[in-house]
Amino acid sequence: MADHNDPNAVNSIFSDIDVSAADLYDLFGFPSDDKSGGEKVVIALTFASVPEAGVFDTDMLYRILINPSPRVTHPTRGDHSLDGLLKYFEALKDKYLGAFIASEIRVTVDQSQRATVKFSNFPGGSFQTVVNLNEVLDINTPDGHAIKTFIGGRDDAFFNDLTGFFRSINYAPQFYHVPHTMQNARELKIPKTLLELEGNDLFNFDPKDPRWGYHDGKKRDLPPGPLVWNGDKFRKDENGNYRFVYTGEDCQAGKNINAIIMEIPLAFLTKTPDEDRVVNCWGESWVLKAANKIETIPDHPFWLEHPWALLDSLKFDDELKKYKLVDTDGQPFADAALSEREDNRQLGANNFWLAPHFIKRLAHLGWAFGPSISALGLGTSFDHDNSPVSVHRTYASAIEAFPRAKKTLFQELNMPDDSWNPKGLNIALRRPFEIFVPNVCAIDMDTTGTWPFGRRLEDQVATRFLSMFLDMEAEFNGKKYHIELLNDQSLWDAAPIEPKTPPNPLKNDKEFLDHFPYLAEPW
Amino acid sequence: MNKPTDFEIDLERLDKEIAELKDIALVVPIDSEKATRFVYRLYQRASLKGDLNEFEAVETALDTAIRKIGPAPDFYFLKASIDFKLHRLAATRRDLEMVPELLESFQARVLLADLDFQEGRYDDARRGYEALIDEERTWDNLARLAHLESKMGETAAADKLYQEAEDELTAKEMRSYAWVQLQRGLLALKHGRYQDAWSNYKRAGRAYTGYWLTDEHVAELLGAEGKYAEAIALYRQVVARVPKPELQQALGELYTLLGQPVEAEAWYERALAAYMKSAARGDVHYYHHLVDFYAEVREDGAEAVKWARKDLELRPNFSTQSALAQALYLDGQLTEARDMMNQALSSGARDAQMFYHAAMIQQSLGETDEANRYTQMASEINSHYRNFHVHH
Repeated sequence: MADHNDPNAVNSIFSDIDVSAADLYDLFGFPSDDKSGGEKVVIALTFASVPEAGVFDTDMLYRILINPSPRVTHPTRGDHSLDGLLKYFEALKDKYLGAFIASEIRVTVDQSQRATVKFSNFPGGSFQTVVNLNEVLDINTPDGHAIKTFIGGRDDAFFNDLTGFFRSINYAPQFYHVPHTMQNARELKIPKTLLELEGNDLFNFDPKDPRWGYHDGKKRDLPPGPLVWNGDKFRKDENGNYRFVYTGEDCQAGKNINAIIMEIPLAFLTKTPDEDRVVNCWGESWVLKAANKIETIPDHPFWLEHPWALLDSLKFDDELKKYKLVDTDGQPFADAALSEREDNRQLGANNFWLAPHFIKRLAHLGWAFGPSISALGLGTSFDHDNSPVSVHRTYASAIEAFPRAKKTLFQELNMPDDSWNPKGLNIALRRPFEIFVPNVCAIDMDTTGTWPFGRRLEDQVATRFLSMFLDMEAEFNGKKYHIELLNDQSLWDAAPIEPKTPPNPLKNDKEFLDHFPYLAEPW
Repeated sequence: MNKPTDFEIDLERLDKEIAELKDIALVVPIDSEKATRFVYRLYQRASLKGDLNEFEAVETALDTAIRKIGPAPDFYFLKASIDFKLHRLAATRRDLEMVPELLESFQARVLLADLDFQEGRYDDARRGYEALIDEERTWDNLARLAHLESKMGETAAADKLYQEAEDELTAKEMRSYAWVQLQRGLLALKHGRYQDAWSNYKRAGRAYTGYWLTDEHVAELLGAEGKYAEAIALYRQVVARVPKPELQQALGELYTLLGQPVEAEAWYERALAAYMKSAARGDVHYYHHLVDFYAEVREDGAEAVKWARKDLELRPNFSTQSALAQALYLDGQLTEARDMMNQALSSGARDAQMFYHAAMIQQSLGETDEANRYTQMASEINSHYRNFHVHH
């Protein structure tokens, strides 16, 4: 009688968690400057370069989903109530769960490292082709369009002080060896903050160990005892300056990614390009299920007598059933910063389910960044009751969180100038709740596609994300706050803070190309 | 040159990493991440090879790591996992309680639910597994719940849960997938559905090549089908790679069935020597195999009772109760055997072998109707329940 089953006998229990080809990094999307033959949209999905840059994991399937639609001003625009907000989310739910069908580009790579690219549900029909990796090429569509394509390895286009971000949210694994059995000791219950907290020795910059927390630094063992902070003020140096959690260092410098990059004629995406001015898109990574993997394994001699029947042909939809969704990417920081749970990442465009979480999480972050912004003498959109220091506060209900985060949710994010709107059209400024729910990159074809009207390669989105917590009605040097304000060196020069730097680097480590595929060559 | 099997590739990878770490992982100044990786890799290699002796080396390294670094939760979780694997249930609980933050962790709660199951608290175990699955739907917890359902006779539910576990597994986890296939195959085998078992085992073999565990299951199935010579040939290959005494015992039983008592006795002796050596070291893992050995091979009731009582003391569940009942029966203690079997049956577990033994006990007490009833119940589960089988 078997009395003892033991999945742990085969389960690796805590094999170290490797970087996976399923880890999506960024989705870029913007109107192409190349208008020859009509408008085109550039979409670039980037992900971990596993097994290496330019070589793809053959167990993966990547999808880019695209849904062009007219630009609409939401009827709830003047309604700043929780009820109105929930109605907005409800309408989204109806859209995404109803008759909504996105067009799709699907990419898999075979053992010979050739990519099968499938286009489905486009106005011109569905088709597929096979292309080489790491080459710029044209994919010709049945209805006569040419889609510029590059599938392969590139330089990572993301430039970001990741260590600063992790310091701001007290994310222990960046600084410590966190035991696998202590999952609750990852994002510690210490106030998130832009300014170091007095006595927060668990995360504050250590001048004796300046590379601690960086890729070339040494992680420490998690100290014993409660992993908490009991202080009541921001840290100040002998000159009365706060210490910034950011240094502006580009932690992604010298790193490569794999990418699917396409420049697609708008007329291929929609029959009515003059009406459908907003191209909504998002990316997904899927990994082959084990059960389906064995259908691709050549017969082992032992089993030749009983070969498994291979499926002769598969319907297109059946293909996806063989894979498991792992990650989605639409908006930068939608998952890392706005989902309460790490395993919510796969919700993607359907993240309207998370709407209440989004409100609660935004309020949680507001208590972190709002007091930091106020301490620097800037106006904040978050109502923190003039708290002199960041606070670690979580909410059980969206109703409770909403009044605090109301302005942050509803305020229009000002742009630094009019260059984003070259045609001078009446295009409403975007607001945080519209940007993050649903989790799609909504590329406005009448703009430059700079975030949040898409996402251009040169956009410093990490810093723009923080600007949501600025009060967009306030002024700096006689000009209303805007999403680029925290990238303005003069602001930091005047602020009581060290180091005097924008939080994140202002440009990528490698120059972007002025032509397709735009992302720089890999290192 | 033959293409290496999946098993060989995994083993080589582990060997390489262990070789890289062995001289530095536990040397001062200690990098706790390297030390943790080292002991876990040792554990993974021992698990992959199925070599209980290697777990001693893991425990030695683990104790060194704890001595030098301190009571890190990952170390104590590994210690608890090894203790559980080796049936040291009290030690498992003590390990988990050594580090306060460990006890609350997801992983520790999995082991606590396993402890509930092994200690006969089936409802608690079920609730534990279900809560864990609600919290995070992992393949291994689905498989744990499936195992519990299978023991309680909920075969369809068990197989469905195994299928759900399968569905959670990706192409990056083919060994785990193969393992789930083996569990499904075993479930089919225990219900006499040999063709289904073959399907599952073949699938396991395709998913993860070169795995001795798959060959072991195939060998048992061949034995159940009466293909003793083929079963012996395959078992001998497995034993050459993984000299586990329970497999040596199985070989002995197959030689007995084949009418070759001399060959059989040689394998029995090897198995018994290994069991006894383990017990002499103070290890408890082979107690249930000793019960089985003395009951099924030697038909020595007194010895079987001795080991069964020891095992029951450690793991009071329907399996150990049923084993003790069978041992008492062989020892002629019929009333006590019946009482003990009734305890096992009251758990709600449904197993053809258990019902068969219940029938034998009832028959010996003159309770023919009851005996017939249990025989019928055994047949309903598996009409081939008297065929060759092994204790996993």
